[in-house]
This record gives sequence, C-alpha cells and structure tokens, in this order.
Amino acid sequence: MSDPNTQRYTALFISEATEHLEALSRDVVKLEQQPAVDVIASAFRHAHSVKGMAASMGFETTSALAHRLEDLLDTVRATPASFDKPLADLVLQAIDALQGHVRAVASGAPLGDVAALVARLSATMAGLGPSSVPAPRPSAPSTTPAPPAMVSTEATQPRFAVTLQVSAASTQPGVRAFLAYKRLSTLGNVFALSPPLEDLKAGRLPRGRITLELETTQTQEGVTRTISTVADVTLERLEPIALGGGGAPVAAPEPEARVVGQQDQARTVRIRTELLDGFLDVAGELLLATARVREVGKGLPDPFRPPLDEAVDRLHKLVRGLHDQVMTARMTPIDVITTRLPRAARDIARRRGRDVELIIEGATTELDRAIVDELNDPLLHLLRNAIDHGVEPPEERRMRGKPARGTVKVLVRRDRDRVVLEVVDDGRGMDSERLRASAVERGLVTLEAARAMSERDALMLSCLPGVSTAAAVTDISGRGVGMDAVKRVVEAVGGVLELESTRGQGTTCRLSLPLTVAMVNLLLVGVGDDVYGLPIAKVSGVVETRRSALPGSQDLLMLNFGQSVVPVQSLAELLDVPALPQPPDVPPFVVVDGEGGKVALLVDRLLGQEEVVLKALARPLDLVPGLAGVTILGTGRPVFILDVARLERLPRARAEA
Amino acid sequence: MSKRVLVVDDSVFMRDIIKDIFAAGGFSVVGEAGNGVEAVEKYKELKPDLVTMDLVMPYRNGIDATREILRGDNAALVVMCSALGQETMVMEAIEAGAVDFIVKPPRAEDVLAVVKKVLGA
Repeated sequence: MSDPNTQRYTALFISEATEHLEALSRDVVKLEQQPAVDVIASAFRHAHSVKGMAASMGFETTSALAHRLEDLLDTVRATPASFDKPLADLVLQAIDALQGHVRAVASGAPLGDVAALVARLSATMAGLGPSSVPAPRPSAPSTTPAPPAMVSTEATQPRFAVTLQVSAASTQPGVRAFLAYKRLSTLGNVFALSPPLEDLKAGRLPRGRITLELETTQTQEGVTRTISTVADVTLERLEPIALGGGGAPVAAPEPEARVVGQQDQARTVRIRTELLDGFLDVAGELLLATARVREVGKGLPDPFRPPLDEAVDRLHKLVRGLHDQVMTARMTPIDVITTRLPRAARDIARRRGRDVELIIEGATTELDRAIVDELNDPLLHLLRNAIDHGVEPPEERRMRGKPARGTVKVLVRRDRDRVVLEVVDDGRGMDSERLRASAVERGLVTLEAARAMSERDALMLSCLPGVSTAAAVTDISGRGVGMDAVKRVVEAVGGVLELESTRGQGTTCRLSLPLTVAMVNLLLVGVGDDVYGLPIAKVSGVVETRRSALPGSQDLLMLNFGQSVVPVQSLAELLDVPALPQPPDVPPFVVVDGEGGKVALLVDRLLGQEEVVLKALARPLDLVPGLAGVTILGTGRPVFILDVARLERLPRARAEA
Repeated sequence: MSKRVLVVDDSVFMRDIIKDIFAAGGFSVVGEAGNGVEAVEKYKELKPDLVTMDLVMPYRNGIDATREILRGDNAALVVMCSALGQETMVMEAIEAGAVDFIVKPPRAEDVLAVVKKVLGA
C-alpha cells in the first residue's frame, strides 16, 4: 500500500484489533463459565470486526483466521451449550494467534503461519453442525436461529430484529443479499446473520429470506429508508429488540463503564500516549521556566520587582492550571490493564488445577497513565500469587469446608487523593511464623527483631528479595513470586504496599497509589558541592546533632530518633561523592524510611523543600542504583532524586562485606 | 432537470443498449468511456449524478476505476454492470463502494428500477 495514511491506519489497526481481541478473550472466559447467547453474539462481533479490519489492511491470513473464528462462533450461537472447555481452548488459541499477528504487524515481523489452526477451526465447526449436535431443546424452531429476545449486558445502542426478502426474480440473489447486508452494515453492527455470510454470498437463501440483528443509532425510519434504496430487496420485519431483564446475571461489573464509554465516544478523540507525554513534558518545563523567571527577578532592584512578581505569580497560576489539565488528560481507567486479568486468571487456574472466580470491581477508576502502565506486571504477579499460592485446590477446599471454587477479587476505589487497589483471595492465607523463621534463617533479621515484629511487619518480610525467591517458603507459606518486584514498582510510583492475611481465610494485598506520578515534594540536601532531592514522603524527620554525641561504635553510628535508635549512614559515602572538606559542627541527619526500617542519612546541608516535576531517567542513568529520577530547579540546576528504598540496601551490603 | 449519467463499458454495442434504456427512461447520458482510465477522467470532468460501470475492461478494470472515482468523490454513485458468473467481482466492487449493480444483458425495467432506487427518485 502506497497510501500516505498507511502508517496511521496501521497504528489504528493495532490498537483497535488489540482491543477487540482482548474483549473477545474476556467473552470466551465468561462463556466458559456460563454459555450465554448475548456473550456469544458479542464475541462474534469482535471476531467480525477483527476480520474486517485485517481484510481492509490486506492482512489476508489474519483475516482468514478471524473469519474462521467468526464462523465458528456463529455456529456455536445456535447451540450455546456446546461451548465447552476444549472449544474455549481452541478459541483462545486462535485469539492468541491473532494477537501474535497484531504484534507482528506492530514490529514489522512476518505473520505467523496459521493454516493448521484454520483447519482445526473448520474441523471443529463441521463437528458442531446443527445436525450433529443434539439441540438442547428439540422444540426450538430451527428455521429462526436468532432468538427473538436477546438479553444483552452491553448493547447500548438500540437493536433491531430485521427480516429481509430478496425478490425471487432477482438474477443474482447472492449479490443482492450481500448488497443489502453491506448497506445495513454501514448503519451499525450486524450480527445473528442468517444464513451465514458465506451462504448468503453464494446465493443460498432459503426462500429468499435473510434475518439479522442490527445494532444502530439510526431510527426505524432510517433503517427503512436505507433498505428502500436497495432494489429487489424488501423489508419484511423491523422490530426493536427489548434489552435487559431475565438474563442470568453473569459476574460482569463492566457494563456501567461500557455505557459511559459509548456515550462519550462521540466527544472523545484518540491521542497517542507519546503526545500526552510530550504535553506533560512541556507543561513541566513551563513550570520550571516560570520558577527560573522568579529566581532571576529576585536579583532585580526594587521598582521592577513587585510588578514582575505579580506577573510571575499569574503566569505560575496559569501554567499550574495547564499542568493540572494535562494531568487530567492523562488519567486512564484502570480497566486498560484489568481487562486482561480474567483471561490470565483462567490460564493460571487451569494450569494449577484450581477453580477460581475472578471478580473485578471499580475498573473505571482513573489513574495517571504512567502509573497504570507500571501496574500491569505487579497486578499480574499478585493475581498469580493469589491463585497459585492462595487459593487451595478444590479437594483441599472441600475438606476445609470451603466452597470448591475459590474467589479472587480485584477491587479498585478512589480514596480522597489516592486510589486503593486490593487483590483479595479466600485461600489459605500466609504463614507469618514461617516467614519470620525464613527471614531469620537467611540472616535478614535477627531472631529478636523477628519476635518483636508485628504481624503486619512479619507479612511484609515476604517482600524481601531473599525470602521471596525461596522455594521452601513458596511451598509452605505461599506468596513469594516477585513480591519484592511488586513492592519496588508500587513504591517507585509513590505508592504503598500492605498485606493482610488470616490463616485459612485468605489474604488481602492492598496497593495505595497516588493519582499522578509526576509531581513530587522534595527535601533538598547538600553533599559537598552537589544537591540531591529526597522525596518528602520518605522522610520521617531531621535531627541536627554533633557527631561526637552519637551512640554506637566507630563502625556503626546510631542516632536517637524519637523512641528508637536508627543506624547512621553518610550520604557522601553511600553515593561515593566527596563531602565538604570542613563539615559543619552540628550536621543534619535526615531520617528516611528504607526498605528494612529507618536510616539516618548524614548530609552537609539542608537546602529547603521544593515541589518539582519528576522526569524519568533516560539510559544509562536509569541503571544507576539509588537514583529515582531527575528534576531541574528554578536556578536551572539539575538535581538527582534519590531512591531511598534502594539506597538503604547499600549499607546492608557493606555491613555484611 | 433530468439526471445526468456516465456510461462506462468497453463494448460500444453494450454502451448503445444502455444509452437507449436511459434515454427512454428520461435520463440524459452526458458521457461515455471505454476503459477504466477514461472513466475516471470523464467522471472528474463531467461530475455526473450516476455512473454505470462495466467490470472487465482494458487498462483499468471497473473495480479499480470505482475505487479511484470514490477516492475523488466519496458521494459518487457507481452502479456495476456484471454478467452471470461474475458474482464475486461484483461483491468486491460493492466492498469498494459501488452502490448497486445491474446484470447484463440489461433489461430496461431492471436497469431503471435499480437506478431510480439508487437516486432516490
């Protein structure tokens, strides 16, 4: 394709096809739990959309595979009960292959060979043919496969049942029928097409009749008018289909989101994330530039200063407003990542022989896109842990008097200026005693410390790297895989991770997240000639005292802080940078919350507090341990923001060495 | 004012038949083209209300010509002329944006019925 728009189309194809395929996976997981006609219809529609998009992009193999899938789903629609596990597996395989194609398109790689899969889909479809599958209710009228009253949880546009009659005199009835079908497709979504498209195109129209359902925003008159422009085709029936009511309530907390989404569709535009990142960058730079102007103004003589200050104040307010709006534009519903969970849950549960129901609530809650993106892997880790290590196998659950099917909930809610995300399972819970023992065994905490530890702190031991990877711990007490990674990511975006667990009853993993990641309050400290920023959220307090007054040995100084004693570390030594040759007599100690407890950082000077725009570190700086980001002060000076949690690991390593 | 039609077919014989049908039906045939390239040029020049388009033609077939015309004017009304056995191609043309089709050899009442429907007359 030499079309200059090709690139744009490709990007659109990738994003839309991905959405459809994810929605399709979700439908399949729902269907496996409870076959329902409306969900099959939805799945069919998604496959249909992918087929159409792939075809118009010229990806023939992709289109062919999607087409087979569409046909299969169309066949299943007549007998929803035939949607069993093997069928679900096959459909999911096809979805995976399609997703593979989409990824290949994105990376410019060749499309994978799917001939075998297409053949399997065809074979399966042949096996499902109406004649070979006993109809669940023999009385069901086979001439009208489309159920008269479909229940839909997500149809938000009016839906019509349509019957068309192609004139018997028509010379090419197949093309006529296809034309009518095509014309209706332009009005909205067509599904429940009977006869199926292949037959229709071939002119195999029983008694010249076509039935279908049309989801459209058009009025009845509009549809009638459209059909009236097609020669040789008459509209026999056009009736709105009643929606809602009567259907088995499938655990689907999303319809609300969908309604909102569809209503908003007309007023929204798609924007590339990079563009939004660019806006934020510029807005951030503007804030910094404003601060710089204010700084310069401080040097001006009196008659000029007040009006400049006033102007700068106003500018600052405007820029701040702009920045806030850009931040708002970056807010993304968390369902961007939760939509993948049902499929993941199903796969994990099947692999591990668990029976699990996944309930997702509050997926429309919005967060900064940057945070949402970061949460993808942690959330998957938590889900895996909940199913793999939390929920017991069905036999064990029955023995314990629990329902055989476990429940894992992902609950998201807004709590003032934070978003709380919980992964709750009703599994066996965590064994805090074993965690304590294991941590002591590994020399990560002393026996006394372990004993004195609160239940909550003991559970957090599972987030220490040594403990989390220990197979023995995984076997006995569960939790383990990657909890340290989860904690690190959550904290990197300014969040807090908490664990609650009751043995035999389950575990709750709670993430408290900021709405946005980009603004951070810093305590600026000086070491030698350099300035570093410490996130205020991590600072417990500052103590100024003489070095000689500190208790502890020469090797390990301690600082009295409140009721406790905190180990002292020189920030200059930690960072391996020169301190002032003549340190102050009464130097400041900044007490920060590290991973394993509080640490007092000895610095040369305190330089004040500043709210700054955090910029992510680019290569190779992001590889330097101890750095969390960088910002530019009003003076134009770049400042490194320290990753307190990881800094704190350095002294531990040195103490052991 | 009668509707203006452009007739595209590589056979002069076929063009004459179609022109006669239109004339009898009260339409005015404002131009003819014998291949796809010419069809696109004539369309741009004449801006007719409707085009009848043969499928198989030299230089540029009817499907490509239809596509090209629609690229220039997405409201263009193109009706395909097909023979039996060309169903697949007609459907391709419909995918490409053709609004309807007539079957050759054309019968006057069929052609006029289709064209009137398409023009909403």
